[in-house]
Amino acid sequence: MAVLQVTNLTKKFSSFIAVDNISFEIKEGEILGLLGPNGAGKTTTIQMLLGITIPDGGEIKYFDKDFFKNRQDCLQMINYTSAFNTLQGRTTVWENLFVFANLYQIDDAKEKIKNLAEYFEIKDLLDSHYKNLSTGEKTRVNFIKALLNNPKIILMDEPTASLDPDIADKTLSLIEKFKKDNKIAILYTSHDMDEIDRICDRVIFLSHGKIVAEDTPLNLKKKIETTTLRLTFDKGKEIIKKYLLENNQEFEFYKDNIVIIKTKEKLVPKIIFGISNEGIWMTDIEIQKPTLEDVFLQISRSK
Amino acid sequence: MSWKRIKAIMIHEFFITKRSLEVINDIILYPLLSIIIFGFLTIYLSGATGLIIGKQVLIGMILWQVISMTQYSIAVGCLWDVWARNLTNIFISPISNLEFLLAYTITGSLKSLMVIILGGIISFYFFGTNLLDLGLINLMIYFINLAIFGFGFAIMVLGLIFRFGTRVQALSWGLIAVLQPLMAVIYPVSILPKFLQSIAYLLPPTYIFEAARANTTDLGIQWLNIGIAFLLNIIFIFLAVRFFNFMFNQSKKTGQFARLEG
Repeated sequence: MAVLQVTNLTKKFSSFIAVDNISFEIKEGEILGLLGPNGAGKTTTIQMLLGITIPDGGEIKYFDKDFFKNRQDCLQMINYTSAFNTLQGRTTVWENLFVFANLYQIDDAKEKIKNLAEYFEIKDLLDSHYKNLSTGEKTRVNFIKALLNNPKIILMDEPTASLDPDIADKTLSLIEKFKKDNKIAILYTSHDMDEIDRICDRVIFLSHGKIVAEDTPLNLKKKIETTTLRLTFDKGKEIIKKYLLENNQEFEFYKDNIVIIKTKEKLVPKIIFGISNEGIWMTDIEIQKPTLEDVFLQISRSK
Repeated sequence: MSWKRIKAIMIHEFFITKRSLEVINDIILYPLLSIIIFGFLTIYLSGATGLIIGKQVLIGMILWQVISMTQYSIAVGCLWDVWARNLTNIFISPISNLEFLLAYTITGSLKSLMVIILGGIISFYFFGTNLLDLGLINLMIYFINLAIFGFGFAIMVLGLIFRFGTRVQALSWGLIAVLQPLMAVIYPVSILPKFLQSIAYLLPPTYIFEAARANTTDLGIQWLNIGIAFLLNIIFIFLAVRFFNFMFNQSKKTGQFARLEG
């Protein structure tokens, strides 16, 4: 069953089309990545899905209910976290969470906060002022706030932005663990392709407000046929150059003893053996398969 | 409508207030300071012009705190969450506009009540002016009318902030002061120039302050003034709510609401 269905969603700001007739859906327990360069329409899409920006056209349905006709029912079952929103800094973590637990009408608010604080390992911080927490600690508190109402879907807008790699990794592990323990659907935006590749079941690429690609991370990467082959050799630059020109390969010499070749994945063994047969001694062979970043760059630059 | 959600915002407001010295200053220290200053003015005026004039000035100033506190609590209370970038979190919860505004109205009214009680005690013990001399029923009617106006004014200001962003946030604490001279808080409307009198009589609190002044010599209920004030308040609150909803919707259409915290 689709937790969220978006149909022909459109938003214009004067003559600028921020979101252009996009349609997609998210199923129960699925993590859908929303990718795109700056200004692609990701944040505007999330704002419309939260009801804080009104669309100019299209339909948003949560659990088969029209969002704008059933706003309160829908909002009771969704939540949101972002690196760009914070909680009230003047009050303590517990006070913040208690207020939101009441806003979501949680019956056993104190117990719920205690359990989630234990799960996210911030029990000792409950009496600290929110403004005094580190960025990583704030992210975890924001996650707790987003989970207070047992949401069926969470919208996450760059939740790991501004976190150092170690804390970002821990945060991703928490998302993975939580997804495993609960069947929550997540709409996830990030600029970090490795992150998207790691946690998303499916990815949508937005460019100029339109969906330009939609698939699993693996299938998207498969669409890029080019593999990068980096060969380090002791001598024979001219021989290698001649061989690659004869075989119509795209290449460039990074240094006098390093060549970078862009080729199809299936041709990699042939090239390695071919160069080897020319009597070249290769000291290092590095094969770089296409990453989601390559997909992203290809899509961004082709539009 | 959910009482639990209303309670959540009230608790939130309480948590912020108890941890913010500047809020405590704004809602207790400054209003009481105004009352004390006008209390001394009362003593001076009582000597120069007679007791009644001095009393009227002090009572006007105490009642003014109801409008001032209610509108301040609602408008600035909301701004604390804009400044903390927490307002989005609140508005993506299932709370309705009505619940949100009602919560702030209750907390604003409670703060006003607290200031009125403290101000009343100070004026009674230090300046010989007993607020209860107006009559308890009269006082309650005045309080309700002034609080309604303060609420209406605050949500109009909030509507402007939602629509135009924090660049107009100074209206929260400054705009009401512009109207104060027109409402004839500490002097009768009759001393205003004719064209300003016409404007003054469009404002509900003008009738309340006129009624309160009349009560210093006549304890009877000032039905005409109260009736007009109540009627104008109904029209005003209707227009203020419409204005707020329109501005809020425009803010969401233009994307300004989402950018409010940016």
